[in-house]
Amino acid sequence: MTGPLHGLALALYAAAALLLALSLARGSRRLALLATVLTGGAVAAHLGALAAYGARYGELPLVGLGPSLSVLALLIGVGSLGVATLGRTGPVGLILVPAAALVVAAAEFAGVRPSGEVLAFRGPWFVLHVTLAMVGYAGLTVAFAAGLMYLVQFRELKAKRFGAVFRFFPPLDTLDRLGRRALLVGLPFLTLALIVGWAWSARFHRPLAPGNPKVIWGVLTWLVFAAALGVRAGGGRRGHRAALASVLGFAVVVAAYLLLRLASAPAGGEFL
Amino acid sequence: MPLAVVGVSHRTAPIEVRERFAFGRAEMAPALLAATGGRAGEAVLLSTCNRTELYLALPEDGFSVEQAQAILAAKIGETAQGAARWMYVHRDRQAVDHLFRVTSGLDSMILGEPQIQGQVKEAYATAREVAGPSGPVVGSALNRLFQSAFAVGGRVRSETGLGHGAASVSSAAVELAKKIFGSLKGRRALVLGAGEMSETTLECLRGEGVRTAIVANRTFDRARELAERWGGEAVRLDDFGTALPAVDIVICSTSAPHPVLTRERLRRALPGGPRQPLCIIDIAIPRDVEPAVGDEPNVFLYNIDDLTQIVDDSLDRRRAQLPAAEGILAAEVEEFWAWYASLAVVPTIRALREHGERVRLAELERAGRHLAHLSERDREAVEALTRSLLNKLLHAPTVRLRDAAGNGRGTAALDTLRYLFELDHPPPGDAGPERDETMTEARE
Repeated sequence: MTGPLHGLALALYAAAALLLALSLARGSRRLALLATVLTGGAVAAHLGALAAYGARYGELPLVGLGPSLSVLALLIGVGSLGVATLGRTGPVGLILVPAAALVVAAAEFAGVRPSGEVLAFRGPWFVLHVTLAMVGYAGLTVAFAAGLMYLVQFRELKAKRFGAVFRFFPPLDTLDRLGRRALLVGLPFLTLALIVGWAWSARFHRPLAPGNPKVIWGVLTWLVFAAALGVRAGGGRRGHRAALASVLGFAVVVAAYLLLRLASAPAGGEFL
Repeated sequence: MPLAVVGVSHRTAPIEVRERFAFGRAEMAPALLAATGGRAGEAVLLSTCNRTELYLALPEDGFSVEQAQAILAAKIGETAQGAARWMYVHRDRQAVDHLFRVTSGLDSMILGEPQIQGQVKEAYATAREVAGPSGPVVGSALNRLFQSAFAVGGRVRSETGLGHGAASVSSAAVELAKKIFGSLKGRRALVLGAGEMSETTLECLRGEGVRTAIVANRTFDRARELAERWGGEAVRLDDFGTALPAVDIVICSTSAPHPVLTRERLRRALPGGPRQPLCIIDIAIPRDVEPAVGDEPNVFLYNIDDLTQIVDDSLDRRRAQLPAAEGILAAEVEEFWAWYASLAVVPTIRALREHGERVRLAELERAGRHLAHLSERDREAVEALTRSLLNKLLHAPTVRLRDAAGNGRGTAALDTLRYLFELDHPPPGDAGPERDETMTEARE
């Protein structure tokens, strides 16, 4: 069941993304509403796929690239569903839903099946570590989406362009608040994930070296979070600066992931 | 009971004439009583800045539409003929269509404006409190008509985009501010120039929750007057720079011939630029704000042309919704009219049934002496038989008559039936049905 349900989730995410794009082009609230319904369907199918994975392989889909990407996509999907039902932030799905579709597609490409990797311990601490980290990354993705939309809306308002973006995108203040909340929720989760990961590794596996790609990536992500929140302090264009920091930070995290993965692959190192 | 609307609106009369037709609240009740002529008619009087209309449901033999026209004409000291060039009359289905258009905002000066629905509701509520010698001036016909109109107005607004977007310069200003700040609750506004335009815009912003207003004006007394009215504070025009760091929105509408707010002055007032976004709405001509101010970081500057562009775009989008709104309206008018027209056949159906019942009872009585030998049980069977026969015979004409009323062929069918069964010669002592009974029966 994992395969068909995962495929269905991907199709529904893609359809919802398309509808959101159409709703932007046509200024139709109905299409946006329909997209939310489709996103709900996608999340349900996705949950079903991951439950089927657990039932079939007898483990949570947290180990290996495909399964963990799928879980991240699910959290992004849940996040987009959340923003769609909270106040006037629904249009943020315009970025989040395609992101979820993209990550699901990447998971499909990598293969949603156990990696065969034998970890020293796969108990509750490991599950907690990965889950907390995923929630943190999902928070960063929401902050990225809100930040990107903030920058676009800011530019449109400055340039006095009152087209589809002006009408469809949420107000600057709403996007700023969403971005801040996403970071404020995500940072504690990521911090806990790092602490739990370090403790788990030290207790059951082997102490992780500072040069380990996982450590580098985890710490870098944490620094990005902290920086994105830190730039909010002080005067000047605080909202704009924060939005820029979220977008750039997210780009740095993704780029770092790809680089570290490329770098660790030839050496046969283990990295998500 | 025919329906009609008599009135003047922005489509037929200029403001100078419309304002003379306007009825104050105290004038409503006498006008409504006069419009129903003290008879069993119904009336609702709608008086706004863009229209004065009398909606009527009048008995055939009651007060006439022409007399209602005379009442409106008298308001401006004219005869009905003298005021006829500004007035319109819509009857029956057209009257229903007109009211539905009014409540939907399709007949408004600004297409889709939402205030009219509230104004019609207020007029309806006022009329419901008025009663004459023959009872309330709003009865079943207008009750149903207005309730339907409110539902249609709501449907058009919720199912089409007719009410979306800003449709006036002041609402465009609000829309812009909301695109920056989200909710305007608790935001602070600075008003430069205490003219009418500033006040209108400030009123709109206050309606959205802007709480504190600082008014700066060349004439300090005028600034203080406006500030007191809106619960804000007044400052001298030369000192407005001191207020800039504390505000989120600036509305400029002075009559100064040169820019009042320059880039240099903004920089002096806000060294390092605004910490939070600053929305400046310049509705003055010539402009009060130097265009370079808009290049400052975190400053969003809009002038009257920008606001007009928003209004035009939004009105274009509203106009694009017209076919959908018209579709809803046509279906709703049809549905209402089918119901209302069916009311006209109720007295005839009742007369037909009474006629049949009289014939049945007379025939039973005449046959009684030949059936004296029958047992009680057999007599009851004969009674039931005749009743069933009558019901079966009258069922099809009753149904067909209701259908005919709904599809516009009611009058011809009605006349034929009344002629064939001699229903226009009721037996002495039959006073005919009361209005409200008829309505209740029709609904049943």
